[in-house]
Amino acid sequence: MSASDLYRDLVLEHNRSPRGFGSLPTRTHAAEGDNPLCGDHLRIELAVDAAGRVRDFAFSGQSCAITTATASLLGERVRGLDAAAIAELEARFARLVRGECAADPALDGLNALAELRAYPARRKCALLPWATLAAALRGTPHATTEANA
Amino acid sequence: MTARALPIEAPLDPQRIRADFPLLARSVHGKPLVYFDNANTGQKPAAVIEATSTFYREHNANVSRAVHQLGEEATAAYEAARDKLARFIGAPSRDEIVFTSGTTQAINLVAYSFALPRLEPGDAILVTQMEHHANIVPWQLVCARTGAKLKAAPIAESGELIVEKFVEMLTPEVKLAGVVHVSNVLGTVNPVAELARECRRRGIPLLVDGSQACPHMPVDVAALGCDFYALTGHKMFGPTGTGALWARREHLESMPPFFGGGEMIRRVSFEGTTFADPPHKFEAGTPNIAGVVGLGAAIDYLEGVGMRRIAAYERELLAYADAALARVEGLRVFGTAARKAAVISFLVEGAHAHDLATLLDHEGVAVRSGHHCAHPLMQFYGVPATARASLAFYNTREEVDRFVEALQRVRKLLR
Ligand SMILES: Cc1ncc(COP(=O)(O)O)c(C=O)c1O
Repeated sequence: MSASDLYRDLVLEHNRSPRGFGSLPTRTHAAEGDNPLCGDHLRIELAVDAAGRVRDFAFSGQSCAITTATASLLGERVRGLDAAAIAELEARFARLVRGECAADPALDGLNALAELRAYPARRKCALLPWATLAAALRGTPHATTEANA
Repeated sequence: MTARALPIEAPLDPQRIRADFPLLARSVHGKPLVYFDNANTGQKPAAVIEATSTFYREHNANVSRAVHQLGEEATAAYEAARDKLARFIGAPSRDEIVFTSGTTQAINLVAYSFALPRLEPGDAILVTQMEHHANIVPWQLVCARTGAKLKAAPIAESGELIVEKFVEMLTPEVKLAGVVHVSNVLGTVNPVAELARECRRRGIPLLVDGSQACPHMPVDVAALGCDFYALTGHKMFGPTGTGALWARREHLESMPPFFGGGEMIRRVSFEGTTFADPPHKFEAGTPNIAGVVGLGAAIDYLEGVGMRRIAAYERELLAYADAALARVEGLRVFGTAARKAAVISFLVEGAHAHDLATLLDHEGVAVRSGHHCAHPLMQFYGVPATARASLAFYNTREEVDRFVEALQRVRKLLR
């Protein structure tokens, strides 16, 4: 196990230049997420169309490379998907980072975080964007990682 | 001979010290361990590990209950640790030492047995902005039950308490004050004797959180002039689940027991119970006997090395680390007090504390990242988390060099 397994080039690159970082003037949904154990904070804003599909995704906040890269990759992956499809992906991602499955093609670039299987203490960092996205879609203003720790 | 009585002798030899700590020989991720998380918990010398296991192998019995030989031995070993701790912190009497599971329990004991019965609506408790949650939350709980208010004295950007403000805030409604002796985040050593003098002048009892002072410097509660002193054994290289509250005898006598049960009574009947004298009044149930015996061994060990010698060594190591870190580009250190223990909270531009900690761990360097149980302090500096390297007397300059080199590599990776 080496640091470069967790901090792969794709993760480092998305941390350096996160996609969709900022805010959406035309948002329909938004939620804040907190990781109380480490103080990380994330805000996700969405533009959701009439059919319930995510058309646009933006995030902001102060967070670690794992959270930032996950949020960035997540935004790219969930465009065009509705809440049910996103929930299905979230379950697949949770299995991936717990080491319960090998790379999952459905997760696309998010597979870069697979090495979290060896870092239980850091899994929450990657789950925070998912929890915040789910809260935004549900219309709950706030999410925390403590429920899905 | 106590640490205080030792003359200034030859400087400490860290290699000899290291040989006494079995865990320091291990490696992590294929690299020799550099353990820089001492503010979180200290490693244990073989003497402590052996004292605990010898207790279980040869003397195990309950304390203060059995008249048989083992019971006598267990009680003697447990009470000997009380003598050692009393001497170690300069307590005027061994009966003023109440064993607890650590600082948290010690402060809660003062909150529930001392503060709760005394507080009334409109009263206040004063702490500082640099407190650990253990010296904040218990006061909030008793304030919520009594209508009293918790106030926090401000700190300066350097991480030093603004003493004039603290003194100004010691108004008549303040019924108790609390201050950390050494900050676990900033390393700041607070001028406790001066604060105690100001509190005493106004008749306000002062509690000192000594968690981070006892492992690193000579402590003399009588000279400090405070009323309560809380400490935790695991940071003093003793076993987890040990610690103590020192309190002036008159306070302990005035305080009702917190827990009730065995060991703490004189006579029990259904009409009423009379309690044992302090400290036993506060030690209900079977205590952590083997742990306390181990804590006694930790104190013997520290006194053997000498607290003044430890403090001098760590001061020099901190200066070395500060100079080495000054060469790291984009490094921000939180806490630059003139009187400072070897605790370095930091961030590197563009890198989050958790990434720093995970990547340093891969280099074998254990540092903590997070809010260090001090949310108000993180809010003061406007950061969600910091990374923290906290040193001890078994750490070396070579380890500081490895830490700084690793930090340089991490910085490049995240850039
Ligand atoms: C300053 C300070 N106070 C209190 C505590 C709490 O100590 P314990 O958890 O051992 O009760 C700590 C340790 O984390 C500390 O550093």
